[in-house]
Amino acid sequence: MITGDVSAFVNAAYAVALGFLAALAVVVIGRGVHWAKRAKELERKP
Amino acid sequence: MISTFANPARFMAFSAWATPLFGALAAVLFAIGVPWGYALSPADYQQGETVRIMYVHVPAAWMSLIVYATMGGASFVSLVWRHALADVAARAAAPIGATFAAICLITGSIWGAPTWGTWWEWDGRLTSMLVLFLIYLGYIALWAAVDDEEKAGRFAAILCLVGLINLPIIKFSVDWWSTLHQRSIFQGSSMSVDPSMVGPLMTMFAAYAALFATLLLVNMRAAIHRRRVEAQRLRSAA
Repeated sequence: MITGDVSAFVNAAYAVALGFLAALAVVVIGRGVHWAKRAKELERKP
Repeated sequence: MISTFANPARFMAFSAWATPLFGALAAVLFAIGVPWGYALSPADYQQGETVRIMYVHVPAAWMSLIVYATMGGASFVSLVWRHALADVAARAAAPIGATFAAICLITGSIWGAPTWGTWWEWDGRLTSMLVLFLIYLGYIALWAAVDDEEKAGRFAAILCLVGLINLPIIKFSVDWWSTLHQRSIFQGSSMSVDPSMVGPLMTMFAAYAALFATLLLVNMRAAIHRRRVEAQRLRSAA
């Protein structure tokens, strides 16, 4: 039986999960954009 | 299917339209799944509001296993058929799988505190999940430690295949050993959760899966671009 206020646990779990996923997406997409730009620059060079 | 996408040019053409499609799908599914799980779904008759943690914890656990199995398949293809993209796919999936495993461990710990009265217990399920996370880290470290990418790919593929033994241990740990962790949600063809919880749970699972597909494709495209840039740099230097 659960007693007391558990909202802090629920909020913390959602903050961790969504925060980690957002950070992962930012890092991966940032890296993808970086290398796509570099490859395009090379293609443009004669 | 595998040989079709083993060609990097064909893969780049496919991923150019598939990546934004999966990205949009992930955004829509999260926009539905998060409020559904966090606020709109019913509380559990035993666990109360803490059951809402299930909607971020369980999909992370499932995805960490699915991503590792995907890496195992890619590693096998890499070792046996030497397909050009198999190594790229396995390497690109690893940080995403490691993040899912970390989310599973941390949210599980947060869920354990109010329900079990402890943040951590060295039982079969929790320990084998921690081992999976450490295998992910070892796999990523191995790629970073070996300079020759061909050798690194071979070593990493062997490590990945050896690590596959941990997947059935995770799955059946709750049946083999006495544990605080609840048994599998899937009981044969039915699910052990209330039908009102299946909707948000499966929506969040689909959201995690769509995000994985998006980030895997982005990571693979970045790796192919990087290889092209480095090859061009080497040609220019020669």
